[in-house]
Amino acid sequence: MVQRHSFAKKVQMIIVLTLVAIWAAFPIYWAIMVSIKPRAETFSVTYLSIPFIQFQPTLQNWIEDLQNEEIRRAAFNSLVVSTTSSLLALFLGSLAGYALARFRFYRIKNRDITVWFLSQRILPPVVVVIPFFLIMKTLNLLDTQLALILVYTTFNLPFAVVIMRQMFKEIPEEIEEAALVDGCSHFDTFLRVALPLSAPALAATFILCMAFAWNELLFALILSQKEAVTLPVFIAGSQQSRGVFFWFAATRSLMAALPPTILALLVQPFIVRGLTFGAVKG
Amino acid sequence: MKIDLGGRNAKFVFLLPAVIWTLFFTVFPLLYSLRLSFFRYVLGKPEQFIGFENFLRAFGDYKVANAVKVTLIFISIAIPAELLLGMALALLFNQKIPGRRFFRTLLTMPLFFTPVAIGLLGLTIFYEEGGPINSFLGLVGLKVPWLSHPTWAMAAILLVEIWQWTPFVFLVLLAGLQGLPEEVYESAWLETSSGWQVFRWITLPMLQPVIIIVFLLRLIEAVKIFDIAYSLTAGGPGTSTQVYSLFVYRSAMKFFDFGYASSLAYLLLVAISLVIAFFFRRMREIYE
Repeated sequence: MVQRHSFAKKVQMIIVLTLVAIWAAFPIYWAIMVSIKPRAETFSVTYLSIPFIQFQPTLQNWIEDLQNEEIRRAAFNSLVVSTTSSLLALFLGSLAGYALARFRFYRIKNRDITVWFLSQRILPPVVVVIPFFLIMKTLNLLDTQLALILVYTTFNLPFAVVIMRQMFKEIPEEIEEAALVDGCSHFDTFLRVALPLSAPALAATFILCMAFAWNELLFALILSQKEAVTLPVFIAGSQQSRGVFFWFAATRSLMAALPPTILALLVQPFIVRGLTFGAVKG
Repeated sequence: MKIDLGGRNAKFVFLLPAVIWTLFFTVFPLLYSLRLSFFRYVLGKPEQFIGFENFLRAFGDYKVANAVKVTLIFISIAIPAELLLGMALALLFNQKIPGRRFFRTLLTMPLFFTPVAIGLLGLTIFYEEGGPINSFLGLVGLKVPWLSHPTWAMAAILLVEIWQWTPFVFLVLLAGLQGLPEEVYESAWLETSSGWQVFRWITLPMLQPVIIIVFLLRLIEAVKIFDIAYSLTAGGPGTSTQVYSLFVYRSAMKFFDFGYASSLAYLLLVAISLVIAFFFRRMREIYE
């Protein structure tokens, strides 16, 4: 669809592109600006809030927030919970994904198993939130990192299975066959041949799982009170209990959102595929 | 197609850990909450079997009706808006445009922005006295009561949702468009010069499978909306933005009415399952 553009069309295009750029970037830009504005000027200086012209930037909000013990603990919890659960999901998921890609199941067909996994992902979290709460309460796991790790592993696992199945399907089988002929066991073949060949896919799946777990709010809200509070829970609570401190809304939003955003940008070519569970190739 | 690599039991060793994990952590809780939904169970008090009473109560509860209404309004505006905007963007960027990669990157950024964080940020963006949106609207003499008026509060949530998810629709549709065969277009342009005709009779039909996937995925996710409503409006003003998940959450965690909340959750599960069942065959085809 290559067409020639007239001058009028070019101008039109530039206007549209500018609007798109503003639409996409403004909230993030605004957050950065609010986070470095002097507090008294949060709303008295507005419109585009251009630093050095409209206000003198300050790092006061950042310094104060980064020294906040509660925030540090929440960030640490988020990090531990999201990496551990993603690793677990990736481990179990790549095993199952490999099984679904390479072996044939007879009693229940491969694609039905795949769709079953997928249907777990469709489940609205709020449906299982109550039993999870009661189970964790019974097991004395409320307000622990472990409870969140178990939950996030569960929710990332179907994703990992479906994606890794696809990735393994794309590796030519011949290499693994050769390894088997040479006397490798199935597990050795998986570990030494299939996994290294799909390393980029593993990394990308890990990153997406981590971003999902990092951003999750509902489960964390229910399963943590103090010790295991994650960043999303912390920032949700910082609004409700102590009134809105807009400058902290900005710093904390950025602290929570920048890690998953930056990670996701690293795996850009993989995102379409990941978010459609492999249904659309990016 | 698939070659049995010679193992008889090896395949189960690979598959079963994930299956057992999933059974234990989702099927078991689902059964548990199904049981709960037939009980009157308020935390700290003994549970009591009451049959279908929770479900009957739900059907007569005006708060449930409100939550359903709010959620339906949310979905029925958000999804068409995202699809239309996403499609427009995808068509725009399917042409040769300078800086296409830059724009793709820019539009990828909202996707993984922590939803509760963008909700919180929304409090400053939609701030009525001197927030950036109202300050620009003020230039043309407008002042919108974003978070204090029921309709505008819903509009604010919708704007945040559309901001976050239009990029997803865009990226997927763009990938779909770029996968379409070039030759079909070459011959189409010989027949007609109307861009609309080509779009209507060539692009749209060929893109249909991708559009359906995007629609389904958005639908599934939009039904779950919680984070933004929780942090941006907390369901207010009044209950004007109290979406279904938020309502169930509150029934459980504020009033500790676990039996009732479980039955509410189950009603949602049934509703979603019906929608999914409707598209089930299509989903199986995709994962063939």
